[in-house]
Amino acid sequence: MDEWKPNPTVKPHKKRSWYLAWKYKLMNQRALRKLCQTGAVLFLLVTVIVNIKLILDTRRAAYEEEEESAQDYDDEMLNVEVPRHPVNNKKVLDVEVYSSRSKVYVAVDGTTVLEDEAREQGRGIHVIVLNQATGHVMAKRVFDTYSPHEDEAMVLFLNMVARGRILIFTIKDEGSFHLKETAKNVLKSLGSQVAPFLSWRDMWTFVGKKGGEVYGEKHAKSPALSTWGDPVLLKTEVHLTSVEDAECHWPDTELNRRRKRFCSKVEGYGSVCSCKDPTPIEFNPDPLKDNKVFDVPVAVIAGNRPNYLYRMLRSLLSAQGVNPQMITVFIDGYYEEPMDVVELFGLSGIQHTPISIKNARVSQHYKASLTATFNLFPDAKFAVVLEEDLDISVDFFSFLSQSIHLLEEDDSLYCISAWNDQGYEHTAEDPSLLYRVETMPGLGWVLRKSLYKDELEPKWPTPEKLWDWDMWMRMPEQRKGRECIIPDISRSYHFGIVGLNMNGYFHEAYFKKHKFNTVPNVQLKNVESLRKDNYETEIHRLLGEAEVLDHSKNPCEDSFVPDTEGRVYVMFIKMEQEADFTTWTQLAKCLHIWDLDVRGNHKGLWRLFRKKNHFLVVGVPASPYSSKKPSSVTPIYMEPPAKEEGAVAVPAVAAAEQT
Amino acid sequence: MQKINRNVVLALLSLTSLVFLLFQLCYYKFYLSQKNGASFSKVRGSQSGQDSTRWHVVRKFLGLISSHNIPVYLIDPLILGLVDKDIEQIRSSPDGPSPECKYFCAPRDFTTFALLDKTWKHEVGLFRTAEKMGFQWLKIINKDPRLDGMDDLSGMEIPLHYIFKLASHAIHVVVFYERSGNFLWHGPLRLKQHMDRKFVPFRKLHFGRYPGAYEKPELLLVSIDDLKVQIPKNPSSFLEEMSHSRFLECRYREARAFFQLYPDDASLDAVEFRKKAKSLLHLSALTLNNLGVKFWLSSGTCLGWYRQCNIIPHSKDVDLGIFIRDYKADIIPAFQKAGLPLKHKFGKVEDSLELSFQGEGDVKLDIFFFYEEDDHIWNGGTQAKSGKKFKYLFPKFTLCWTEFVELKVHVPCETLQYVEANYGPEWKVPVKMWDWKSSPSNVQDNGVWPIDEWDNVIQIY
Repeated sequence: MDEWKPNPTVKPHKKRSWYLAWKYKLMNQRALRKLCQTGAVLFLLVTVIVNIKLILDTRRAAYEEEEESAQDYDDEMLNVEVPRHPVNNKKVLDVEVYSSRSKVYVAVDGTTVLEDEAREQGRGIHVIVLNQATGHVMAKRVFDTYSPHEDEAMVLFLNMVARGRILIFTIKDEGSFHLKETAKNVLKSLGSQVAPFLSWRDMWTFVGKKGGEVYGEKHAKSPALSTWGDPVLLKTEVHLTSVEDAECHWPDTELNRRRKRFCSKVEGYGSVCSCKDPTPIEFNPDPLKDNKVFDVPVAVIAGNRPNYLYRMLRSLLSAQGVNPQMITVFIDGYYEEPMDVVELFGLSGIQHTPISIKNARVSQHYKASLTATFNLFPDAKFAVVLEEDLDISVDFFSFLSQSIHLLEEDDSLYCISAWNDQGYEHTAEDPSLLYRVETMPGLGWVLRKSLYKDELEPKWPTPEKLWDWDMWMRMPEQRKGRECIIPDISRSYHFGIVGLNMNGYFHEAYFKKHKFNTVPNVQLKNVESLRKDNYETEIHRLLGEAEVLDHSKNPCEDSFVPDTEGRVYVMFIKMEQEADFTTWTQLAKCLHIWDLDVRGNHKGLWRLFRKKNHFLVVGVPASPYSSKKPSSVTPIYMEPPAKEEGAVAVPAVAAAEQT
Repeated sequence: MQKINRNVVLALLSLTSLVFLLFQLCYYKFYLSQKNGASFSKVRGSQSGQDSTRWHVVRKFLGLISSHNIPVYLIDPLILGLVDKDIEQIRSSPDGPSPECKYFCAPRDFTTFALLDKTWKHEVGLFRTAEKMGFQWLKIINKDPRLDGMDDLSGMEIPLHYIFKLASHAIHVVVFYERSGNFLWHGPLRLKQHMDRKFVPFRKLHFGRYPGAYEKPELLLVSIDDLKVQIPKNPSSFLEEMSHSRFLECRYREARAFFQLYPDDASLDAVEFRKKAKSLLHLSALTLNNLGVKFWLSSGTCLGWYRQCNIIPHSKDVDLGIFIRDYKADIIPAFQKAGLPLKHKFGKVEDSLELSFQGEGDVKLDIFFFYEEDDHIWNGGTQAKSGKKFKYLFPKFTLCWTEFVELKVHVPCETLQYVEANYGPEWKVPVKMWDWKSSPSNVQDNGVWPIDEWDNVIQIY
């Protein structure tokens, strides 16, 4: 309590004087009023300040809230959009073109748009098409006019290029040997003075506008047969036109906008970019009644062959029962032009960073595409797998719609394929007929999701294994004795000539003469008889009614089969065990069908047509159908030709399918 | 002079002060009205029924989409909440005119609709028509998550959200995509750099903060407030689903980096194990979902999801977690019926329960039951031969959906904490030798079971 006592040292009189002073002041009216006034003013001022502050505060708070409101929703990544091409308002382009024995290059405004100095490659005439308004490269081609027929391809290409485009030509190595008169005339019509006189190992560069002026031309003659002309370098200027002049004036519809975007970027697609009468890019084929494959996703596997892709998609989108929404194009690599083609048709496309090389790259691309397809369409039980170098038959989907239930219900089936390996012009006849085969033809086929997800995907060959995906799928570990359903007449046509395992010779020998169905709405016959057990009954019935051919004749001769129509014939060949295909291979060779490996067999039985008669080949004694052989008949044995040292190099068997 | 001056100043100041006071009042009122999302003028309109802005905007929008054949359904939680109360009446009279505007007239900033991507692809012309009708629109696109898990595929971006704005009301269309695992997914709403952040008050959106996972709803065509709309057949279960629909995407990029460091085991054994584990997981999910028991990926299976988006091939079992409050006695018979015999049962419902079932070909299914405490969650372990008890502690977590081996399953949303609690900070390094009694970093000794209880708490089959 002590602490609370007042301090005794404080002097009382001082306190009192303060009090008195206060008292005096209070008594003074004027002073009081003054005080009140000051107080009021002060109070008001404070209020004003507080008010202003309040307003500012709420303002800011409200503003911040608004700002904040979107913050949660901000994209974490800064998507700075980089324009694909820098905006260029320049009216003049500097063009440099170089032609020599071992190197060519083209530079536009200092940017190299073509450079080729690889050895043993790129021989011939290089052609570049520039957009006359923007200067962008629209097409790049090389025509090896040292070899035959390439000049025809060049003429075809040049004719497709729209008027007004800027064309740049340059020769690497040799470009005149098979440059025929027609081609020379086309070049002359473009304004070239030299083209008609181009000769062996001349160097040549030329820049001109199609149907217009010439910007420059240079030429160096070869002095002798054994030497090349001196390298030439052409430097010239090209005047750009306005964008409006470079475009066609199609009516403004969604479709034409797609067309316009496409045509301003690329060249070499012919009438799709024609100003007057452009070919349609929407096809609206008749819908299929009761289409069972309307909801089945379609994966188109593509590489960098945009012209092929264009042709393929046209045929696909024209097929009856197609559902464009289910189509996805998978492009192996970040190529722009295939994507442009996909966008032209309003389809969706996915690009895939290439993994590994050669066959393994294709194989990895397949895996990614199939996985993505089932991810994008989680409901799908199947996927249709197509490639960019196939024509699709008009009744492709009708064929699948009629047969797909088999794949769902019959476990002994591996796939349905649109391709008959043995279905050539002279060996296929009946569009309504289906077979069961032990091989997997590919080239337009249906994959069951469960097969992919449960069996194939987990053990798909890894990138370091340089395997062909299709060869891998054909291996017994994967196929496990299951079969594929194929039509007698193929529903796809393989038109690709350039590809990984493909060349012109190979295509001509094995693919060109393949039969392709063009009849719409074919009603398939006896689809139920394709089920595992039914098929055996069917085969026994067929063999029962088949006439045995005269085995003393040469089966390669045309006369082996009588000149009848619509009959069923059977022949027996020697086949010691299941894997003995010696005679079959020889027979296939002389019949000019697929002989590079064994295709199209079912338990040692092959079915094809000869002279419009159904023609059955049974391998005795390996085939269970051998019992149908009359005891009097000796199975035919054909000897393989004696192997010569270093004989014909057989083209890669894997071949065709994936290119 | 001085006096007058002073009075004038005084009066002026009082006036200013009064003006400010009034201003403040107005401002406050304005602020309040904004907060409620209501403008007072509109409230009057709703009295007479259907002249509210919102109703008109919704009607216009429904006209727009029906003219383009776009099947949308209503998922607005506020409206569905109201609808749910009167669901019987609405179901019984699908065509009857409504006496008053009950649902679409409550003044709100948004009305939310869902659109199934699969049922619609042609957006050609929709936006032009929308503009002609006076709508302003915003489209939010982003990467396709269905391709995210894939090595280096780049597809086109897909639309995730659309917003159509007319006058003061906006229609939010959430695009739902089908994913592997038979469920619907919608994406998060993220604005890109150049987008207008004030187009609508994005914060008030009901969908888009996180991605979400939903079952495919059954739809019902109803007429509410004289507007014909599709709604989920069972609004209350939809709303329930919505409340915990948050979806986590697997960390595909990190998983790829992981596989760069530790290449995946591609041996036949690994392939076989993954196949079996996947089918076991599918079967378990089916069984538990049928019972209505909520479960999540736990331990090694959860780590596999989080670290490599796949089953760890050397883990040899499948681990699931279940909250003990969700325990049902039917669990054991249900698994047995599904062809998974009980292998062992440790602990009891009150303490440290753990079940193991024998799957096909040596793959084991472990189900751990989790006990919630105030500040942590734990599950128990038991050593059969010694009767020793162990306790594994975890920080509290909530559950999110994810997609794993073509299945929609739960994982802890706070996965990192969960995994770190279990496997320590070195969880990124694969460990082949794992001892469940000592390796986990969250294991604690928890005494020994009394011997007289052993028969009950240690059951091995």
